[in-house]
Amino acid sequence: MAATQDVKGKGEGGDQNFDYMFKLLIIGNSSVGKTSFLFRYADDAFTSAFVSTVGIDFKVKTVYKNDKRIKLQIWEGLLRGAQPSLVLFSSLQRCAPAEGFQSDTAGQERYRTITTAYYRGAMGFILMYDITNEESFGAVQDWSTQIKTYSWDNAQVVLAGNKCDMDEERVVSVDSGRLLAEQLGFEFFETSAKDNINVKQTFERLVDLICDKMSESSDTDPAVTTGAPTAKLTDSAPPLQPQGCNC
Amino acid sequence: MGQSISIPTANPFQSSSFFSSSSSKRGPGFFTKLQIPVAKPKDFPALIGSCMSAASARTQEFLTFSDPEGKFCPSPQVLNQVFLATYIARSVGLDITDTFNCTTMTPEQRILLGADWVWALLEKPTKNPRVQIAVRVLHLPEMGAGPPESGSESIQMAQMESSSRSVCERMVEFCTSIGKDCYALFLFFGKRDDRENIYGVLSNNFGAAVGKCSQIDRALIENFLKGAKTFETPSGMMQAIVAKKKGDPLTLVVKFS
Ligand SMILES: Nc1nc2c(ncn2[C@@H]2O[C@H](COP(=O)(O)OP(=O)(O)OP(=O)(O)O)[C@@H](O)[C@H]2O)c(=O)[nH]1
Ligand SMILES: [Mg+2]
Repeated sequence: MAATQDVKGKGEGGDQNFDYMFKLLIIGNSSVGKTSFLFRYADDAFTSAFVSTVGIDFKVKTVYKNDKRIKLQIWEGLLRGAQPSLVLFSSLQRCAPAEGFQSDTAGQERYRTITTAYYRGAMGFILMYDITNEESFGAVQDWSTQIKTYSWDNAQVVLAGNKCDMDEERVVSVDSGRLLAEQLGFEFFETSAKDNINVKQTFERLVDLICDKMSESSDTDPAVTTGAPTAKLTDSAPPLQPQGCNC
Repeated sequence: MGQSISIPTANPFQSSSFFSSSSSKRGPGFFTKLQIPVAKPKDFPALIGSCMSAASARTQEFLTFSDPEGKFCPSPQVLNQVFLATYIARSVGLDITDTFNCTTMTPEQRILLGADWVWALLEKPTKNPRVQIAVRVLHLPEMGAGPPESGSESIQMAQMESSSRSVCERMVEFCTSIGKDCYALFLFFGKRDDRENIYGVLSNNFGAAVGKCSQIDRALIENFLKGAKTFETPSGMMQAIVAKKKGDPLTLVVKFS
């Protein structure tokens, strides 16, 4: 990975070489800028060409917080939930496809069945809309319902109004973004993957929120340590122990 | 296919436009050299099919190449790249990418979804995919897998995430999860009894095998080829896909070269 602060392995692949692993998801309507946002954060690059992501994708980035190495596994895509019986990629549940299942042709619905397993493993979400696209803002409520339905209760969410560099074409005011975030109980940023505005801050805030939640609930709620179903990925990591994040 | 080898007919030192692709409109830029000059077919499936055929013919040249000294042998990755570069150059040249596009997967997606690239037939105004064809190239086993996709942490992680299932299974699961308008196409760059040609097995119904067969792997898919008496052409394949009723199953064996 390009980021300079990434932790490299001590000759054994690097997988042991972190204190915590957080799984994050970036969700939101097509073309709001999820891929661009992740590309900017992980590789510090931007391209104006639009290539809609097929299914899902992810990148890994390691950040430091109070001398702790936190590995972020960041997934993005049109991760819309489905009935649990259609879950894919879940190592726990492998099911035959539902008989007669028909995919919607709308792009956003297309990959919905790939999703619930990803939601359940996630500790944090960046829910993104495009400030120049009313429809994407209107869909935020719906995405938020998806999060509440499919993720675990302690998942943290930041609402991001992306493309804030395009102020001339703005159709969603900063205030309505902030208001909606308040109503949903989310943190809020306006961002630009293009001009690199608030990209790092959004991730840092999300990491802070997750750390706070961890230290807050670690004494009482064992789900914090066992809740992530991506056991295969976290197995090799030191468990998220009750000493919390120290952050 | 013989004439397609890209020796420029004009002396490049005399042709001022040889290296320019933008200044002259559709002038003989670098990539046009990859294209095989054939008459432009009229109907759309045939147009797409012609791009696939051109890519296959070009790839076949590399597949059948044998170095007299036995030192040089194009790797599986190179063959994939030759196919894609030829396909993309030709589809751009024929101006079909607005209707039928080709998305190459990131290294992480290749592992997670099992696909090397995805073709998509796009709906007119929305550009949403109406039909998708996820493609995985299967090389002759003795070619080896090539060097493992090395390096980055995210690739190692993707491998861990996916290690319980074979590439073929991952691809079938991905396609099945989308629905009957998403096809899995396994492209055989050479098969055991015909190492010099490119074949494909296309289906939106591999999912039906998931419960019945113990494993979806190369052997299972190659069986489709063994049983086949006749093969579809790439154009015929596209024709069949476009003509198919929504929701119906479709399985085809195709000879690409
Ligand atoms: N001006 C501006 N354009 C942006 C910004 N972020 C993304 N874009 C552009 O918006 C388009 C869509 O961006 P993507 O990142 O591909 O969107 P996506 O959300 O990943 O879309 P899907 O993969 O279809 O879900 C691209 O043309 C980007 O260049 C931004 O902050 N400012
Ligand atoms: Mg994307």
